[in-house]
Amino acid sequence: MSAAPPEAARRPGGWGAHVPAVLAGLGVLLLLQLLGTLLVALLHLPVPGAVVGLVLLVALGVRHRGLVRRVEPAGDPLLRHLQLLFVPPGVGVVTEASRLADAAGPLALAVGGSFAAGLVVAGLLLQALLRRGRAGSR
Amino acid sequence: MNAVVHAPVFGLALTLLAYLGAGELHRRWRPALLAPVLVATAVVAVALEVLGIGYDEYLASVSILTLLLGPATVALALPLLRAGRALLASRVAVLVTLLVTGFVSVTVTVGALELFGVADDLVRTALPRSVTTPVALTVAGTIGAGATLTVVLTLVSGVLGAVAGPALLTLVRVTDLRARGFAIGMTSHGIGTSRALAESEVAGGWSSAAMVLNALAMTIALPLVARAFGG
Repeated sequence: MSAAPPEAARRPGGWGAHVPAVLAGLGVLLLLQLLGTLLVALLHLPVPGAVVGLVLLVALGVRHRGLVRRVEPAGDPLLRHLQLLFVPPGVGVVTEASRLADAAGPLALAVGGSFAAGLVVAGLLLQALLRRGRAGSR
Repeated sequence: MNAVVHAPVFGLALTLLAYLGAGELHRRWRPALLAPVLVATAVVAVALEVLGIGYDEYLASVSILTLLLGPATVALALPLLRAGRALLASRVAVLVTLLVTGFVSVTVTVGALELFGVADDLVRTALPRSVTTPVALTVAGTIGAGATLTVVLTLVSGVLGAVAGPALLTLVRVTDLRARGFAIGMTSHGIGTSRALAESEVAGGWSSAAMVLNALAMTIALPLVARAFGG
């Protein structure tokens, strides 16, 4: 074997040290997604496999910080550039343009209205509750 | 030329370059309304039209991006884990806010569309719009809604939150950074979160936590709501 690249040498040893950290992280993420898919199929859950994978990662990550550190090199860049993944379905709206125009008014009202209502309700309610909680504990 | 335009990687190259260019544009001038994702989408749509590439051919070319939505959803656990301790300390306030706001959002969405007598399948399409896109897409699939329109409505919500969210919160005197972040994350998911992160680290953390919690709550609740509309 030739000398390990410096990046691999800096990381703690263990499995996957011979590939870039981003690949090892992606592997873990995919494995968790498939585990989630398996659970969904076995237990007939009403949620997508990837969402169960998310819950699995939270549950495991609370105990195992090492697992979280494995996932971060792939997870963080993915989350920072989530929007790139929305471009293809966004392009597809051209095919839906005529239907969108038919119901544009009501849709704008529904989206704008529920956005504004949700934002104001969430902001005011949480602020009030957080203040009350602090006052109660002191 | 034809060999290049119809090469299997052409759509992927086009998408990446459009996203890179739009991001660069955004970094230099910061035009609030022109979120990079909207610019990139418009550029790709026009290019496909001009070059005569069908949407199916394009989708096949960018399947790697579509596939990455799964691991990206799993990765949403990371911001939740980071904000974990602060959230646990205020868990009652967070849960109450989550449930009440979720109820209000869904009620307003359904109410506005029912008032105008919009078709049931369009109501289903509008339902997942406040959820972060990777989850919104899977939920849309579960409840039988049009994926592309769901994405557009979701993107619109995100951009609304990034552009108008902070001002609206200031208007109704929400000053607590945690509450500001949480409100933006719940209504405007990832795009709003990046704006909240620009406001402060605290707001950003609470925003991404709200985004994830909202996604989880809506994944469970929306199929039940959708059933009322023939989903």
